[in-house]
Amino acid sequence: MPELYLALLDRILTPVLLLLAVIFLLAGHNAPGGGFIAGLVVASAFLMQILARGDAFVRRLIGPYLQPLMGAGLLIAAASSLAGIGRYGQFFEGVWWQLQLGGRAWEFGSPALFDIGVFLVVSTFVTSYLLELSRPAKEGGRK
Amino acid sequence: MDFYANWLAAPILVPLVFAASALLVARRVTLRQIRVQRSLALVASLLNLAVALLLLYHTLQGQRMVLYAGAWQAPFGITLVADAFSAIMLALTALLGVAVVLYAMGTLDQRQGLNFYPLLLFLLMGVNGAFLAGDLFNLYVFFEVLLMASFVLLSLGGRPSQVNGGLRYVVLNLIASTLFLTAAGVVYGTLGTLNLAQLAERMALAPQSLRIVLAGILLLAFGSKAGLFPLFFWLPASYHTPHPAVTAIFGGLLTKVGIYALFRIFPLLFPELLSSWQPLLLTVAALTMLTGVFGAMAVTTIRRVLSFHVISQVGYMVMGLGLVASGNQLALGFGLAAGIFYIIHHMIVKTALLMAGGAAELTMGTGRLEPGYLGGLAKRAPALAVLFFVAAFSLAGIPPSSGFVSKLGLLQAALDAGQWPIAGVSLVVSLLTLMSMLRLWQKGFAGPAKSDTFPLRTPQPRLTLAPIALLVLASLAIGIFSAPVFGWAQTAAAQVLDREGYIRAVAPRADIPRLWAPGEEH
Repeated sequence: MPELYLALLDRILTPVLLLLAVIFLLAGHNAPGGGFIAGLVVASAFLMQILARGDAFVRRLIGPYLQPLMGAGLLIAAASSLAGIGRYGQFFEGVWWQLQLGGRAWEFGSPALFDIGVFLVVSTFVTSYLLELSRPAKEGGRK
Repeated sequence: MDFYANWLAAPILVPLVFAASALLVARRVTLRQIRVQRSLALVASLLNLAVALLLLYHTLQGQRMVLYAGAWQAPFGITLVADAFSAIMLALTALLGVAVVLYAMGTLDQRQGLNFYPLLLFLLMGVNGAFLAGDLFNLYVFFEVLLMASFVLLSLGGRPSQVNGGLRYVVLNLIASTLFLTAAGVVYGTLGTLNLAQLAERMALAPQSLRIVLAGILLLAFGSKAGLFPLFFWLPASYHTPHPAVTAIFGGLLTKVGIYALFRIFPLLFPELLSSWQPLLLTVAALTMLTGVFGAMAVTTIRRVLSFHVISQVGYMVMGLGLVASGNQLALGFGLAAGIFYIIHHMIVKTALLMAGGAAELTMGTGRLEPGYLGGLAKRAPALAVLFFVAAFSLAGIPPSSGFVSKLGLLQAALDAGQWPIAGVSLVVSLLTLMSMLRLWQKGFAGPAKSDTFPLRTPQPRLTLAPIALLVLASLAIGIFSAPVFGWAQTAAAQVLDREGYIRAVAPRADIPRLWAPGEEH
């Protein structure tokens, strides 16, 4: 069974880490932060869960979805690279879209899309790596 | 720059997108999902081949294609460059990709198949990217992509021997990658750029000591990736353990990425070293050939023998690089063209041979050549035996196969340059190769058919034999129509040697600071 203080820390730290990840992801491409860092922070939140509630719990929670999410992240990143060809005829050129919502113009760019793709790939890849490391060793050792 | 340059991104994007889509369905292991992955991989490899042929068609007319990602001019952004040499390598990779996907459909156990196809596509993406990279750092990045994908492919079965081979492979290759990264760091620290075109301009101004150190480190790094003497030991330690489909694509493809890097970097950045280091390159080539072929004689399973032949054949390609500088009667760059022609021949034939050897192993349940294990395959699987026979004779260099023409080209270049020792070594090695192939035939295929066999899994004969037949036919076609193919190799060699043209095509901006003034010695 996990220690009491780990269970307590998990309650406090996991929401903080997830919030931090969102902030890092939105902080974007030029400021410190971005998809890679945010992905690592989310993976550390999952590490917290593995320590506090055991790897079986986390594996049940998101295990089967890790590889599909990795694929989705790669697809999103590839789509952002193609957006430039669609708009300007130039591979990987940044494209900005505007959205009128609530009387304000919201800007959204393809670099942010790329960051979201990177975020998905990094968070799921590192989490699956951590899950594999926390798998109990098979009995018997050498075969 | 024109819109069509965007096609240069396709050899990287097509495998990436299809691999990612194949991962989307990887939630559970079911036969239906593996079937989806298989069809995605087949479509991706065919698309990849179409794109590569398109690029080949464009570049064979003697022009280069350059793509600046995100419209960031060189040397700031990621630059992708394709000339005829890159396009030839891309087309060969794509052809092998199609063949291996078909072969894997025929031989791979459905349950083992999970994620084989996405990983194969990631491997193709890394290899394609390495052939297109226009700067040293992205070359490194794509080397890492293909290294990671190949490591997972090597240990896919999870058997202790596979994990063991995979670990040796990844550790020794990571050492080579570290050397490469060190060289890139030194280049950036001293010359202030990593773009190959700008490096070609600036390397000539750098102090000679720096040039020699960099060339030495890069030769070590790429030589280790290519399996040159004495850095080849990771190859025989790992190539015989994974599934035959994995061995086939590795033996055909991976060492040739290192060879490509040598062929690209040395004429572009260190042209003067090609003549002053000629003895070194030719000695390495001769020793690689000899150790490879002697190693093949000492080992006793069919795939180990064929893996050692990969090493010995790589020596021939380096021999082509070593013969660049000299050319008395023949056209300039004839040696390099012969080397490129050898790569074309080798990638096709070696993959066909490894596929045939793997199919023999799967049919009989063992790959051992001692009496009582493998034998009598000519009676049990006559079609496979015929294909193996033709491919083996092509590797040994018997006319009218592609092996004969490619060895003849290198021999001609060596004699023209007056390099008698290397010409003699190459003749002796091809004789020894023939003997080794005859030994494989005699132990594995000749003799009475065995009744007591324990096949690991009966491969589907048509899907297994079709890709081997495709590659064997390609080898014969290259041998018979050698004149146009050699013409392509000569176009490619001329473009590789044309440094001015490369610099002009990429057109790096000159206003980047450098750390020393020209003419000043450090």
